[in-house]
Amino acid sequence: MSGREGVLVAVRRATRHGVAHPGPHPAPPLAADFASFAATLAAVGGEAHGPLARASLADAVLAHARRWAAGGRIVAEPSAAALLGTAAVEIARDAAAPHSFADVAVAIAKGSVGIAENGAVAVTADDAPHRALLFLAERVILLLDAASIVGDLHSAMRALPAAAWQSQLTFVSGPSKTADIEQTLVHGAHGPRALAVFVHQS
Amino acid sequence: MSGSGFGLDARVGSTLPDAAAVARHDAAVFLLRARRDAAVAQVPDFEALRTRAAAIKDHTLDHLDRQLERFEAKARENGIVVHWAADARSLCEIVEALLRERSVRRVVKSKSMLTEECGLNPWLEARGFEVVDTDLGERIVQLEGEPPSHIIVPAIHRTRADVGALFHRHMGSPAGETDPERLMAHARADLRARFLAAEAGITGANFAVAETGSLVIVTNEGNADLGIILPPLHIACLGIEKLVPNLDDVAVFLRLLARSATGQPLSVYTSFLSAPRAGGELHVVLVDNGRSALLASESHRRALRCIRCGACLNTCPVYRRAGGHAYGVPVAGPIGAVLAPALVATREARELPYASSLCGSCTAVCPVRIDLHEQLLAWRREAPALPVSLRRGARFAAALLSRPRLFRAAARVARTLWPLFARRFPGNPASPWLRAREWPEHPGASFAERWRKTRGARP
Repeated sequence: MSGREGVLVAVRRATRHGVAHPGPHPAPPLAADFASFAATLAAVGGEAHGPLARASLADAVLAHARRWAAGGRIVAEPSAAALLGTAAVEIARDAAAPHSFADVAVAIAKGSVGIAENGAVAVTADDAPHRALLFLAERVILLLDAASIVGDLHSAMRALPAAAWQSQLTFVSGPSKTADIEQTLVHGAHGPRALAVFVHQS
Repeated sequence: MSGSGFGLDARVGSTLPDAAAVARHDAAVFLLRARRDAAVAQVPDFEALRTRAAAIKDHTLDHLDRQLERFEAKARENGIVVHWAADARSLCEIVEALLRERSVRRVVKSKSMLTEECGLNPWLEARGFEVVDTDLGERIVQLEGEPPSHIIVPAIHRTRADVGALFHRHMGSPAGETDPERLMAHARADLRARFLAAEAGITGANFAVAETGSLVIVTNEGNADLGIILPPLHIACLGIEKLVPNLDDVAVFLRLLARSATGQPLSVYTSFLSAPRAGGELHVVLVDNGRSALLASESHRRALRCIRCGACLNTCPVYRRAGGHAYGVPVAGPIGAVLAPALVATREARELPYASSLCGSCTAVCPVRIDLHEQLLAWRREAPALPVSLRRGARFAAALLSRPRLFRAAARVARTLWPLFARRFPGNPASPWLRAREWPEHPGASFAERWRKTRGARP
C-alpha cells in the first residue's frame, strides 16, 4: 500500500461525513477608513502616509525613498513604477534572479487591498512579481488606493481577484520583527527594518 | 510538585535552575497572555469567531478524507507535487530523497513543530546535510543543542546574556553583548548569507486550503518567505489536520491565530502559496504520524482542532513554572500533554496528563474551543500512568477519607503539627513547595468544627 492509500484508508475509517459546515462568518462591524488603517499600522510598527492626491504621490514617495535609501539602491516593481509615472527609479526586470536584489535599500511595490483591523496590505503576484524584493530590501514602501481599504480580513479575502489564489499572495502587516530575545521587540529580523504605506486617492 | 515521582519533576531544573529563573520565565510567558487579552478586547466578534472556528474544524475533521483529496487535486493542477507520509520515518525518507535527487547539501528551515515531532533535523544532519533553522528563536536553541521550549517563542527560557554568550561563540559578536537589537543584527547578517547560499528551503504550513490548493504560511520575521523564494526547491511538511475547506474559513482562523498567540492583530507575513515560483519546485508532504488514530478516538478527536497558537501554554500555571523542556516531548503545555499520549505514546508521555491542576484556564483561552482540561482528565481514565508514589498516596487518602472518625483524629494531629512545617529543613516534605511560597496559616479549627459553632450560635 502506498503512503497515500495508507493514510487515506486510515482517515476514511475515522470519518463519517455527518457534521455540517457552519457557513461563512459574517463580516464584523469594523471601521474601514484611512484613519483606522493608519492607527493599526502604526501600532504594528509601520507608518501610513496620506491620503494623497494622485498628482502629489510620486514626489512624496520618491522623497521618502531617497531619504531612506541614503544613496543606496531603490528598486520599484513595474506596478508601482506605472503608478508613480516616473523613470527616476530602477524598475525590476522580468528575468532578474531573486538573489540580485540582496543589496536593495528601498523596494517600492503596489498593494491591492488594505485592512483596517490589522494594518495589513495584500500584495499579489501582479503587484510584486519579484517576491524577493519584498523580503530582501532594507526598507519597503507600498502604494495603496484609499478606496481599497476594507474593515476586516473576511472582506479583504473577498475583494481580492481569483488570480490571487493561483500564485503567491502575501498580507504584510508592518516591518519584519522578532521578540525572541527576552520578549524585546526588534524590527528587521530578516526582512525589512521599516515599512511605509502611501495611500492615494483613486 | 517535587517528590511526586513524575519524570516531569526531575526535568524542571534542567531549563529553569532556580527560583529567579522560574519567576522570569513565568513573567515572560504571562506577558503573552496579557497581550492576548488586550488584543481580544479589540475584536467585537471574537467569541463568535471561536465558536465558528471550532465548528469549521469539526466539519473538516469529519470530512478529512475528502478535504485531503480535494486539496491534492487542486494543488496538483497548480503544479505542486503532493507526497503522503504515514509516519515520521517516511516523512524523513521522502525529504531526504528529494534533497538527494537534486544534490542539495545546504538547507534553510523555518519553524515547524511537525518536523520537530518527526525528528527531521537530526535525520538529515546524520546524513550529511547542513540544516539551518532560520527563525531567531529556533536558531538560538539549535546552536544551544536543545529543543524549543515553546511552540511560538522557542527560546523563551533563555536570557539575553545566554544569547550574547552563544552568539559570541558562534557568530563572533563582541563578548558581553546583551542588547537584543545588536544581537539580532549579528544573527541577521549570519543568516542572510545562509539564505543566499541555500539550495533548498523546508517549511511547515499553518493551513492548507482545500478549495484553492493553497498553503498558508505565517511568520513575523519573513524567514519562511526567504527560504521559499531564494532556493529553487521548497518542501512544505504538514500534518493532515492542517486542512481548511475554503478561503472564508481560513480568514476565521487567521483572525484568531496571531491574537491568541502574541496579541498581534495579524502576523507580519501571511503568505498564500498556490503554485511553485517561476523556475522553482514546490513539494508538499502530508503527514499522518498518529493523527488518524486520534481522529478515530471519539474523546480525543477535538485535539486535532489545534492551530498551534500557544495560548494554552501562556496561561497554564504548570507550564509557566515548569518550562517547556520539563515536558520532554516536542509540544509542551496543555495541548502537548493532550497530544503526547497519542503521538508520542511513551510511559513518560502518558504521565503528562497528570501534571495539571485541571484549572481549566487553557480551555478558557483556546481559540478553537478544545476542552483541554476535560481531555487531560479523559487520558487519565483511558491510559492510567500514575507514578507508584502517587498511587500509594491516593490509596492512603482513600482509606482515610472513607473512615470519618479516623479522618477527624488524623486532622486534629495534623493541625497540631502544622506550624512545624512552615520552614524548610532536611526531611520536610514541604521544602520544595516552600522555595517560592509561604506556608499558609492554619485557622485553628476544622471546617466542621466552625460550621457547628456558627450554626449553633444562631437562634
